[in-house]
Amino acid sequence: MKQHRKVALPRYGEYNCALKYIVEQGFETECILPPPLSRRTEDLGARNSPDLVCTPFKTTLGSMIEALEAGADTIIMVHGACRLNYFGELQEQILRDLGYHFDFINLSLFNTGKKRDILRALRAINPRRSMIRAGRSLYEAARMVEHLDDTTSFYYQNCGFDPTGQYRKIYWRFISDMYAAQSLPDIQEGYRNAVRAFEDVALSKPPDPIRIGIIGDYYTVMDPFSNLEIEQKLADMGVEVHRLMNITNDMLRNSNKNKQAKIREFSEFSMGASSTTDIWQAQNFAERNFDGLIQVKSACCMPETDIMPVLANLSQDYKIPVLYLTYDSQTSDVGLMTRLEAFYDMVEMRRKVTL
Amino acid sequence: MSEQKMPMIGIPRAMLYYRYGPLWERFFQVLGVSTLLSPPSSRGILEAGARLAPDESCLSLKMLMGHVETLIGRCNCIFIPRYSNYGYTELFCTRYEGIYDQARNIFRSSGQRFITCNIDAQNGFPEAKAFEQFGVELGFTAKESRRAWREASRALEQRKKAEDRSQKELAGKPGIKVLAAGHSYILSDPYLGKPILDNLDAAGVVTLRADALEPETARKACARFSPTCRWIVSEEIVGGVLLWKEKADGIILVSAFPCGPDSMTNELLIRRIRGVPILTLVLDAQSGMAGIETRIESFLDIIRFQKGAMV
Repeated sequence: MKQHRKVALPRYGEYNCALKYIVEQGFETECILPPPLSRRTEDLGARNSPDLVCTPFKTTLGSMIEALEAGADTIIMVHGACRLNYFGELQEQILRDLGYHFDFINLSLFNTGKKRDILRALRAINPRRSMIRAGRSLYEAARMVEHLDDTTSFYYQNCGFDPTGQYRKIYWRFISDMYAAQSLPDIQEGYRNAVRAFEDVALSKPPDPIRIGIIGDYYTVMDPFSNLEIEQKLADMGVEVHRLMNITNDMLRNSNKNKQAKIREFSEFSMGASSTTDIWQAQNFAERNFDGLIQVKSACCMPETDIMPVLANLSQDYKIPVLYLTYDSQTSDVGLMTRLEAFYDMVEMRRKVTL
Repeated sequence: MSEQKMPMIGIPRAMLYYRYGPLWERFFQVLGVSTLLSPPSSRGILEAGARLAPDESCLSLKMLMGHVETLIGRCNCIFIPRYSNYGYTELFCTRYEGIYDQARNIFRSSGQRFITCNIDAQNGFPEAKAFEQFGVELGFTAKESRRAWREASRALEQRKKAEDRSQKELAGKPGIKVLAAGHSYILSDPYLGKPILDNLDAAGVVTLRADALEPETARKACARFSPTCRWIVSEEIVGGVLLWKEKADGIILVSAFPCGPDSMTNELLIRRIRGVPILTLVLDAQSGMAGIETRIESFLDIIRFQKGAMV
């Protein structure tokens, strides 16, 4: 087995900082960051993917191609609860057909429900590293993800009310700190700096701002490039943007184990993948009297399409407007802007009428 | 019609009915529950379903919702089982997991009762136990339900064996043979897949079906070919393609727009299978058959040309 791998994972929001941390600190292996997602990434992915597969497949495939171009020789692909389980195998086949030579570590192969196979997966990445070190890096990366998600949530809830433009600078400095972090103290210091800096900025926030909740599929809703920066766009209109859907809430803290029971009226059983979490979050936003709800999903996403009738009923029961957005490999955000502006106007008008 | 006179349970003739139909029907028959099957698919049913289901969902789901609508108000409750998984690595498409709740939500205002049987081995409900509990919910004893399930699953097994046998007979026939691969609820549906099969028959071609194979054999073949494919139904189709392809002169992959598992497994088949011509047909809610006829015709021409039957 090779000793000096150059490992890459496809881009996934800003979570690559944590993935990079695990590969570099836990497995002492070089990590190649694919270039930030761009039109080119999407074109590369869409051109080489089957037509009817969901957009995250195309985007991650494009990102893998760019990683290989950037010099990576090993690609790691994760698994998940929907079609994501099968992404790796097909993407590997497509990349090989394109003529690339590389090692492919498909975590889906090791996802068999047996603990032994998890260890095998860790060994596949670097057989010579200690499992203790790998385990510690996983723990530290989890802290990084928590800080990242907390900061991101805080940022989008408040940046729309910052007249100075400081918020954006602080947020992006924090992100680059996370990419540069080498140890747990680095991570904590970066986080503390960001929190302190945010505190120093005076916000001009009305006492009762317009609040919009965002739900959606696991990739599109968390990846600003894929959702055409919907959160920033809304925040810039002066909206408090809330998104509960992130890795921290869904995997690390998992503080709501009885979601299915709480949404029983709408959905008795899980409808697959992110559906239970999404419906619960939508209900949660509605119960907290949010002004509107936006569902962000990629084209052909199965579970997200399935919950649309549920959201329609929820919208009726709680009298909350829902905007359904489907993202494909779009080339322009003008259409999105128009729809968001119209939604914002409607939500704002609704407030004047009901008050 | 009074409440009592109505049949107890309505079964939509769509989606997993084509796979598990004999099992469900036998189960209810043994228990003595009256059932009502929705009429065979038609254009009207599909159009009604397309109005009800979310725009972006697959053709099969739209068809299912159309079938459910024909049953509304004509039976005490509509039976939509939830097939989630048979174990950690034996999954079903997420759509089958959601159809029960989705139908409940779509038809909420109709006041129709829905009933499900939750097959979810990961959470403690393997098929046998799920049907036992389902029987108990219907008001029978656990013993009666178990017996009904045993008989029902035997009925399903027998049908599978019969399909397998008749397929083997077909494979021995002379002439051009084409392997049709697709979900049984597409291929066997009188409105969706049947016209394609009829078309092939009319052209004098022997049509084999990838889904007519004993499931275990097919899934073993698929596991070697594509280890991370975990949708049971897709595994069987892929396995069927692998095992029958030697006998066939061409393969037609029939899929519905936009089927999630098919979008990936068909791509893998096209990329990994060499030496056999493959035609992909994606069915949409279109009403005309002319486009599909043309494509089948030219596909058959290619096969005949390859075999030297056409110069």
